[in-house]
Amino acid sequence: MNLFRSEEHARRWAQFNPASEEGFIALPELAAFFGTETRRHMLDADYLSAWYPKRAAERRAVLERLGKTSPFWLGTPAPA
Amino acid sequence: MFQRIMRALVETGRAPHYAELARSMHLTVPQGRQLLLDVMQAYPIGWLHPETDYIASFPPLNNLPTQYRVSVRGEQKWFAQCGFEATSVTWLFPGETVRVDAPCLDCGDSVTVEMRDGRITWVDPPGVLGHLNYGFGASRGKNHFL
Repeated sequence: MNLFRSEEHARRWAQFNPASEEGFIALPELAAFFGTETRRHMLDADYLSAWYPKRAAERRAVLERLGKTSPFWLGTPAPA
Repeated sequence: MFQRIMRALVETGRAPHYAELARSMHLTVPQGRQLLLDVMQAYPIGWLHPETDYIASFPPLNNLPTQYRVSVRGEQKWFAQCGFEATSVTWLFPGETVRVDAPCLDCGDSVTVEMRDGRITWVDPPGVLGHLNYGFGASRGKNHFL
């Protein structure tokens, strides 16, 4: 989960995973993905009990809104 | 304890040891250690350094230095867990400009993002983007190259 100067730079990265073609995300989308409501409460006394449990559903909603609905982004099942 | 860790990271750039946390919470040291383990279990996006009770990662910040250097008010004393979490650090410093500097893993040249209250205020170079090298979920295995 890294930042690169551009998509070309990411593709040239020695550790680039060829199976991660769909792994690019524009910076504004990334800021939205990591700027959801629960993130704004990380300093609240009840963050862990009241806000953190909502994080997964919130992330999924953002990813769906961004059109990132593949297992790659939404989470792949555990190997059998 | 969660908030004590998060606030200590914000205030000092480092996570406290469980013995320090125990003292501040009027717990015995073993109770402090157990509570730390419980917190990390409840917050599994963070982790302890393997085979220790040292907090390595407590996202969005990291106790173990990463390439994602975070500066606030011109002072660099924080590290983000990863490039993605770096865009979330802004929420720990309301009203402040949060600057993230990192080397591009391809060329080593700089990547800079500044944010304030969740808004991106500066990006250099303009084409900066995020990349997820392995999909999310249980099958992704180890957190490669966070």
